[in-house]
Amino acid sequence: MSRIIGIDLGTTNSCVAVIDDNGQPRTLAGPDGERTIPSWVSWSADGQISVGTRARRQAVTNAAATIYGAKRLIGRKVNADDISWFTRLAPFRIVAAPNGDAWVRVHGQPISPQEVAAHVLRAVRKVAEEALKARVTRAVVTVPAYFDDAQRQATRDAAQIAGLDVIRILNEPTAAALAYGAHRVKTGRRIIAVFDLGGGTFDISIMAVDGGIFEVLATGGDSALGGEDWDRRIVERIVDDVFDQYRVDLTAIPMALSRLREVCETAKKALSVDRETRISLPFLANDQHGAPINYERVFTRADVEQLTKDLLDRLEAPCRRALEDARLPEIGALEEVLLVGGMSRWPAIPEIVERIFKIKPSKGANPDEVVALGAAAYAGILAGDSDDAQLLDVTPHDIGIKVGDSGFALMVPRNSMLPVRARRLFATTADDQKFVSIELYQGGEKDVAKNRKLGQVVLDDLPRGPAGSARVELIITVDVESILSVTARETKSGRQATVTIRPTGGLSQREIVEIITRRRQEPSLDSPLPSELALGKVRTTTRDHVLISPDDDDKP
Amino acid sequence: MGSGALSIKLRCASWQQLATIYKRDLSRGTMFLKAATPPEIGTQVRIDLTLPSASVIVLTGVVQHRVDDPNRGLGVELKLAPIPASSIWLIESALSSEQNRSATPPSGVPQSVPSAKSGPVAAVGDHEDMSVAETDLVRALVAEAESLKKLNPFLVLGVGYEATDVDVRAAFGDLTKRYHPDRFMRYESAELRQVAAEIFILIRDAYRRLGDDEGRTQVLTSLGRTPSPRAVPAPRAAVSTNPRNPSSVVTPNPRNPNSVVTPRNPNSVVTPNPRTTSSVVTPNPRNSSSVVTPSPRNPNSVVNPTPRNPNSVVTPNPRTSSSVVTPNPRASSEQRSSPGGAVNTPPRGVTQSTDPGAVEAMVDAGQLDEALAAYKMLAKRTPSDRTLRAGVELCEGLRALAQRDRLEAAQRFEAALEIDPSNERAARELADMRRQATHERKGLLTRLMGKREP
Repeated sequence: MSRIIGIDLGTTNSCVAVIDDNGQPRTLAGPDGERTIPSWVSWSADGQISVGTRARRQAVTNAAATIYGAKRLIGRKVNADDISWFTRLAPFRIVAAPNGDAWVRVHGQPISPQEVAAHVLRAVRKVAEEALKARVTRAVVTVPAYFDDAQRQATRDAAQIAGLDVIRILNEPTAAALAYGAHRVKTGRRIIAVFDLGGGTFDISIMAVDGGIFEVLATGGDSALGGEDWDRRIVERIVDDVFDQYRVDLTAIPMALSRLREVCETAKKALSVDRETRISLPFLANDQHGAPINYERVFTRADVEQLTKDLLDRLEAPCRRALEDARLPEIGALEEVLLVGGMSRWPAIPEIVERIFKIKPSKGANPDEVVALGAAAYAGILAGDSDDAQLLDVTPHDIGIKVGDSGFALMVPRNSMLPVRARRLFATTADDQKFVSIELYQGGEKDVAKNRKLGQVVLDDLPRGPAGSARVELIITVDVESILSVTARETKSGRQATVTIRPTGGLSQREIVEIITRRRQEPSLDSPLPSELALGKVRTTTRDHVLISPDDDDKP
Repeated sequence: MGSGALSIKLRCASWQQLATIYKRDLSRGTMFLKAATPPEIGTQVRIDLTLPSASVIVLTGVVQHRVDDPNRGLGVELKLAPIPASSIWLIESALSSEQNRSATPPSGVPQSVPSAKSGPVAAVGDHEDMSVAETDLVRALVAEAESLKKLNPFLVLGVGYEATDVDVRAAFGDLTKRYHPDRFMRYESAELRQVAAEIFILIRDAYRRLGDDEGRTQVLTSLGRTPSPRAVPAPRAAVSTNPRNPSSVVTPNPRNPNSVVTPRNPNSVVTPNPRTTSSVVTPNPRNSSSVVTPSPRNPNSVVNPTPRNPNSVVTPNPRTSSSVVTPNPRASSEQRSSPGGAVNTPPRGVTQSTDPGAVEAMVDAGQLDEALAAYKMLAKRTPSDRTLRAGVELCEGLRALAQRDRLEAAQRFEAALEIDPSNERAARELADMRRQATHERKGLLTRLMGKREP
């Protein structure tokens, strides 16, 4: 039987691990010995695709066709706030797919972020296959705990395109806690927090670890906040400097943006250790007279901290909310805070963590690899090779239904242990009401319109009678994979309608199959660009009734 | 060939019987069938053999020759087709666990029954075996889910009504490691994961409700109990409805790995359950006692005053520390109130047993025959009282269990619950049996997959 690999598909870097012959998880290195693979994909003018370090090297020369940060876009709508700044500062073009999803445009062709991620996953898979000298088809893939179901499904779709069967989507903080061996520290129940600040996402999870059981008590975060935001602030600063001085807008020059991004990331890393660093960008662009712009400036750590103060503030609210949701008897109940993610190296991070949690955080040996190691360890548990731990994750977002015109009735509160089932009775609101249509939403807003619609279930042929005479029982089940199934049942007649709401990551199964087939027809990875995709209708599956899926609203 | 095919259903009522058949016939690949008019040689025969655990094993064979044995009578000997590894394992493991369970093995059981551990079936099974075993496991889990639905949260987790946070968490942790759907990812069947999720949802809901003092108080109140978590429950409550730590009796102690093999009353390895032993010696205990005469059976019970819960005397249950600190409420109730004393001092007459509470205490004390007779009498007096009729079924079920007739026992418990869904003891016993069935099948699958037992 083939081994199951654990993959940390990161915003900036990805990592793969596997359980070795001694039962210990270890990361696998690529041909150059590197243990992380940049999550970058580049298309050359003649259609050559390169991934990882090779793609990253083209960031400057081929800026408009070198994609990074696809994880920020995956399963997202293009009009989301954080996508718009990304659009402004990314050297490549971000466009709207017909359903409103954020895609990228490369050499004039629209490409879904799922496909970009699939290229990264394929490269990761190749690293694993070469290291193991065996075919790999199954994987545990991690996502930020705060990812919603569209983002999770889109990640799953990406893996499918890459020829990987995802046996489980796992949350990054729980994977990290498992890899740290939080359950081996001592016996008895311990409460720990995992603070995971990666390249593009931020997660905070508070969990109780007891006898190998990792029970997540609360989770929170921001799936659009990470190290790249720190880089961006430096980039923006330089863009402003240059504009003030030369009246040249660097955001219109992909190559300049790409160089800026690269240099600013390096500067940030340097400032994580040193107090100051010099940024030097000769021939960054030409001014209005055609003369070269040579940018040079010394940045101190304090400068950058000033520029990113609000980002630090954005870390605080989710932590406070998670602490509240975890219902700890007192803050002192928290025994340990683990720092995960590359961005946790930034000195201000441990400081703010200590300020919020009143405890000095601990750093693991390697915050970049720990998530992949945890994924591999859990793969071993799922395969039945080891039995020492069990992760109990939660729903990151509230799930409820629309009541009245715009009300939101909570059915499954956030931070409910999975799997979970909720029941609730509803009554008809009109005389002789013939049917009820129940719309499900994900999100914590009281105004239902601000939440994300998941699907809908319709129950018709209700018995006639005055308003309130017919009662409908609604049962929502969320499984360990966050897949929702909903049953509506009229209590008198027992008539019922059931629907399993397959989360949609934006691509329909038909589109995914199309992408895969196209790949097969072009056996070499260095294939020409995919043609424009035909967007089919995405429908939720139904057993008893025809339902309207949320995507129908978006598509012509 | 088809015209002469025979289909026979056989039921092994007891493990001894199975052991005999196994040693004499199955292990040699043959089977003796008693028949006044023996079928022709070459006739194809299919036998559906129902084990005492209610598992069915299908055997196929061909009539080889006629036998006229003075001991066994007139019949035929079948040459059996190879028995699937899974079936052999099921028989062997069941027999060896039964053997471990009884300290004094019944004379019929040969000591040489190969144990599952050393059996020849340790190799990886073929695919067909696996899928059959998975289907069996699905069935066992579905049955278990059904019986768990009838239990209150305390019984679902298998903790006592006096359980603390620590007890509840420990029980939840153990059950999680066994029933979380992720634990079933290793198998092919997606249905397994679904059913496991159904069970796990019941477990998590129970855990959520009992996870803190406040929740437990609420549940206890809704169950009509006085929530006094730290104190020893009042004797009255103790007598009427089992406040004793159910975990020690009902669920196999998950901390103790042996209990997976011998889930029912794991401690009986240490202290043989007097009830069971006597029932082996006296195959029909029904005749041996009546309500009026003192029970002649249970000689051991004099030695061990609390036969149903030996662990409170022999080995304190490591999981429920509270039961060690505070005296076992059941044990104390026995010492305090008259029915408990009945173990040593047999009931003097019918009159004493007419209080349903007292009869229940008899059941708890293992005086099944007396309890049965009392229930029967009470039920005759007030036929409308469902609890009494359920009591009759419960006693019959417990007696069947004592005789290792698990099929009969399960049916009786089910009947008891049908009559009176609030019969806690029947629900618990049934859930316990179901849990054991699940473990047998899980163990089988693990072996088929060539993995070590978890």
